[in-house]
Amino acid sequence: MAAKQITLYTSTICPYAHRAELALEESKLPYTRFEIDLLNKPEWYAPRVNLASKVPAIAYGGPAVAPDEPSPDSEKLAESLILLEFIADLSGNLLPADPVKRAKARFFIDAVSNTIQPLLAAVIARGEPVDKVLEAIEKLQQLLPDEGFVVGPEFSIADIALVPFLARLELAFQSDIGAYDEGTGIKAFETLTTDAKFARYRKYFADIKARESFQKTFHPDIIRPVFLQRTDGLRAQRQAQATA
Amino acid sequence: MAVNQITLYTAKICPYAHRAELALEESKLPYTRFEIDLTNKPEWYAPRVNPASKVPAIAYGGPAVAPDEPSPDSEKLAESLVLLEFIADLSGNLLPADPVKRAKARFFIDAVSNTIQPLLQALIVRGEPVDKLLEAIEKLQKLLPTEGFAVGPEFSIADAALAPFLARLEVALQNDIGAYDEGTGIKAFETLTTDARFARYQKYFADIKAKESFQKTFHPVRPSIL
Repeated sequence: MAAKQITLYTSTICPYAHRAELALEESKLPYTRFEIDLLNKPEWYAPRVNLASKVPAIAYGGPAVAPDEPSPDSEKLAESLILLEFIADLSGNLLPADPVKRAKARFFIDAVSNTIQPLLAAVIARGEPVDKVLEAIEKLQQLLPDEGFVVGPEFSIADIALVPFLARLELAFQSDIGAYDEGTGIKAFETLTTDAKFARYRKYFADIKARESFQKTFHPDIIRPVFLQRTDGLRAQRQAQATA
Repeated sequence: MAVNQITLYTAKICPYAHRAELALEESKLPYTRFEIDLTNKPEWYAPRVNPASKVPAIAYGGPAVAPDEPSPDSEKLAESLVLLEFIADLSGNLLPADPVKRAKARFFIDAVSNTIQPLLQALIVRGEPVDKLLEAIEKLQKLLPTEGFAVGPEFSIADAALAPFLARLEVALQNDIGAYDEGTGIKAFETLTTDARFARYQKYFADIKAKESFQKTFHPVRPSIL
């Protein structure tokens, strides 16, 4: 029986969609990638693919159709963490077999959701102090084994849940992009990339960046200008409100 | 090879811990239940079982020890939804095999986390309008198949995630417990349990209450349940 088709609706900028792309690349499952312009969504997207009108979403199975003409007969699935588990179920190679290791992967994903994930918007868009990110990364470091990935030598959905957020935070900090106080981003970047305290983080992120799936799916040259555009004026605005 | 021991640290009052109890009962796995008094936690609990000092938590494997003397050699696991997936992995009978159905179970759990849970808290603790919660239950109904449980005829972790909250909601409303205006709870209880708008909910919750696992693990004895 032929494997069911997989169409991923995604957007280069979006960290949640990036999770699904990483997982599909790592899974080696054949899939079709369709970019959704988040500022100008096609009118068919919400009614036919994802009522919440967000990416990522997957259309699974059904007849072979163009991605912009989704069939009512495919299964529509959404929510990035659900898609990670789905792709892990389909491929069999994105979670270990051992139930305890699987639980540790899921616990790590929970920690990501509660620490790093909300900080991307909080720090970049709302200008909360960059030190919060450093604290969160320090905590996550402690959950990593001495080498390899979250659950050991095998890359898993636990790593995938985290990576898009680390990548975008580093990108922003390196160029001091965000509503936080000027210069604090670059300083945080220097700390992250040189301070002994973050040695384990650096090794971990280097291992991630060496993976083909990461290189294929992370596009800083596309993301950086969008971040710049979106944060234009936010720093001044926040500082004006703070002194008002 | 002997099966690894399972010790569940739990509290009757806690809906999150109740999730894990339901799942363990349904799994038919042998386990030891240990009640943690949340108002007077044993001093060994945080350092030896769960640094977050919350229930539920599971100590898995390691030597046979008394539950109040947990061994450093057992694996310590926490977070109710992580434990639901863990028990499903161990037992093989709390999630369907089909990847799409599994995704639907997780989507259902996600809806519970994003709607029912916070609205229940808002209603009881802050007295926010009950209509929001009723609307959320109406929406959740639409995710249910026409009969059976969240993802089919078999009880799954999707149902285990939701049931403890529905159970406590009904007890609170029936006893008019909450920060809302007097009488609001009882009125909402009548709507939920008799209005045709909630027929599917009524059937679903009746099916849950009929299960031995629910009857064994739900103890609506004290009114102060939240």
